[in-house]
Amino acid sequence: MKKIIIYIRSASPIGKAAFLLLTAIIILSIFGSQLSRYPHDLSSGKSLEAPSKDHKLGTDDLGIDLWAQICNGARISMIISLGVATLACGIGSFIGIISGYKGGIIDYILMRFTDMVIVLPQLPTMIVLGAFFGPSIKNIIIVLSLFSWTRIARITRAKLLTIMEQDYIKIAKGYGASFKYIYLNHIQSQILPIIVLCFIKTTGKAIVAEASLSFLGLGDPTSKSWGLILNRAMDFNGIYFTPYWKWWVASPLIAIVLLVVSISLIGRELENKYDFKM
Amino acid sequence: MRRILGILLTLLIIMNISACSNSNDDTKAIAEETVESNNDIIIRLAGGDWGFPSPYLHYSRGPGGFKMYLLFDSLLEKDENGIIPWIASEWRIENEGKDYIFTLNDNILWHDGEKLTPEDIKFTFDYYKQHPPVWNSLNVNGKYIVKNVEIIDETNLKIVVDSANATYLERLGKARILPKHIWKDVKDPKKFHSEKAAIGCGPYRFVEYNREQGAYKFEAFENYWGPKQRVKAIEWVPVSDEILAFEKGEIDTVSPSPDIIGRYEKDKGYAIKTNKGFWGYRLIFNMEKRSELKNINLRKAFAYGIDREEMVDKVSRGAAIAASMGYISKEHIWYNDNIQKYSYEPEKAKKFLKGKSYSFEILTGNKGAEIKIAELIKMTLKDIGIEIKIKSVDMKTRDAAVKNKEFEIALIGHGGWGSDPDSLREIYGTDTQEDGSPSSNSLPGYYNEKIIELSQKQMKELDKDKRKEIIYRLQELIAEEVPQIPLYNTRSYFVFRPLKYDGWMYTYDHHYPEHCKLSYLVREK
Repeated sequence: MKKIIIYIRSASPIGKAAFLLLTAIIILSIFGSQLSRYPHDLSSGKSLEAPSKDHKLGTDDLGIDLWAQICNGARISMIISLGVATLACGIGSFIGIISGYKGGIIDYILMRFTDMVIVLPQLPTMIVLGAFFGPSIKNIIIVLSLFSWTRIARITRAKLLTIMEQDYIKIAKGYGASFKYIYLNHIQSQILPIIVLCFIKTTGKAIVAEASLSFLGLGDPTSKSWGLILNRAMDFNGIYFTPYWKWWVASPLIAIVLLVVSISLIGRELENKYDFKM
Repeated sequence: MRRILGILLTLLIIMNISACSNSNDDTKAIAEETVESNNDIIIRLAGGDWGFPSPYLHYSRGPGGFKMYLLFDSLLEKDENGIIPWIASEWRIENEGKDYIFTLNDNILWHDGEKLTPEDIKFTFDYYKQHPPVWNSLNVNGKYIVKNVEIIDETNLKIVVDSANATYLERLGKARILPKHIWKDVKDPKKFHSEKAAIGCGPYRFVEYNREQGAYKFEAFENYWGPKQRVKAIEWVPVSDEILAFEKGEIDTVSPSPDIIGRYEKDKGYAIKTNKGFWGYRLIFNMEKRSELKNINLRKAFAYGIDREEMVDKVSRGAAIAASMGYISKEHIWYNDNIQKYSYEPEKAKKFLKGKSYSFEILTGNKGAEIKIAELIKMTLKDIGIEIKIKSVDMKTRDAAVKNKEFEIALIGHGGWGSDPDSLREIYGTDTQEDGSPSSNSLPGYYNEKIIELSQKQMKELDKDKRKEIIYRLQELIAEEVPQIPLYNTRSYFVFRPLKYDGWMYTYDHHYPEHCKLSYLVREK
């Protein structure tokens, strides 16, 4: 924690603002239900009320408070994005490390498999898989993870190949050091910052991908993520010819943009810090 | 300075007046031009894939079936007031309602130039017995109603039916006639994807269908025997947002929500019609899968625990009416108002539940309105102790699941609420799926002897007043029993540009002008 605070202090002003914003959104996602006066799944006002003292962001067509929905949506968007990032980083770094360390035929097979996944058109395949598995948070996490690990695997492998060429690794291997010993003492510390960076970048991408799937109507209809709130708003017949878009479309849209931008900026900060470009 | 300002003001006023007069002239010119070039009108409508427009390959919903109707004619047709002669110029019913004698119009040609003969009609009724089409009006209680078709002479033929029945004239009259020379060798019509499968004798002929884009193109058939077409071609084009497409002139009609109807009310370039309340949503209970639903008290708890007026206000934005619990639409001429009514009364609903709690899954489509209705149901039923899990799938998957009875409770929306009240028998009085249309889905596991008896009796009653009495009684019984929950009937708006085309009409039993064949033809004044 101390390290994180020190690191934030040393960040650029934009980086600090991004950290602040992300922290605020995380707090929103954890304490969302305490921060909103109304439930996120029950009607608490009239249909399509404009923002007021009572309903800070107005209400949707069913009279559900939008601020409550945004707070709850933050939790769902965070669960999905962190879930995807964890799964993708786990699979990607595992494949990358094994591939880079073992080399030879294993490396060849794993990398050709990675290439195969990379060339698949992502969005159409995700739509098909999303429709096939059915809409639920768990399925969305799995579907998004299936396409998010490839870059991480390649980056990790590339870094590992560089590490493996170092003399101290060769010497350690010469003295009969095991994979576990080499990984824990020499590889982990160099790989971890890259994986953290990948984790953050994947989180940002997952938020956008989940919003896209939900926007296309393939999200879980009962778990209103920000993408799904946007989808419902856009589904309203002729919303742009009504004043409702000003709060109904704008709120989830701004929330998505703020979260994605803050994550991207933090990613940039990390890139600068570790002098590593993804 | 004042003088200069005065001169400028005068100039402005003169310019405005001339601009106004120009604009009036322009409007007149456009109007005259529009009237003059009526024969060249191309109507563009919002597209979507509703299947190939043959009687066997169209999707079972309205947008699929009514496209096919434009290509294929039937013995009779419908207008604002009732059934009218069409391929058959006249008809009479003999032998105590068992013989239908139709006199055919002369010189009817198929789109490929061949002449329509009574042989084609005989062939059609024989062929439909072997191969039921998607929209099949010729099956009653699971049995084919036509016993025999006899050709009397070149213009007369007799159709012998299995029994006297009040609904048979319409049933025989709306069967689409097939060309024998094309279909006689077709063994499996559901695999007959050739363009020949769209050759009919209707006012429009098939030109193009693009499944991926959901685009269709039909052109007026120049040798059509009947009323002249007012529209040269009808095109269904892909659009992402119908309102935007309408505003940009890409399509010619739209159904906007009441929130934006004001845009069109003020502008004389647009005309607005209110669609009839013959399209609606209902909640179907699968009592085979969840036997608890056989308990009338639980069904009544649903009826009192669902706020249907709230749905009308919030989902349909006021452009709807809460449906009658007797199913027949409140705008139907045979609607009985003196039946049990169920308003939103959560306390009463709780009493019916007697402290028990239940959990059900509602299967719904993934379009906005349906999910919103499901959400409202979930919210209100939660208060009375019924937990609802919403499962949303795409429309076609949901329709198939309802047909195959693979659901606990299904939320489905469809048309057909204005058709002959024999629909009550199809839904409540039989367990056979008589037609591919979602409007004829029966209620799995529901059985009520009295309802079945009256359902059967009403169609055999040829006296209109007596039949009406039975239908009224049926509605009373159905409302008391609550075998399903009719939610609401939409009364959406239909906006069009009258200067471009003003022929839109409603048949007496249908909710939407785009679907009506006569909307595109010259009408006698």
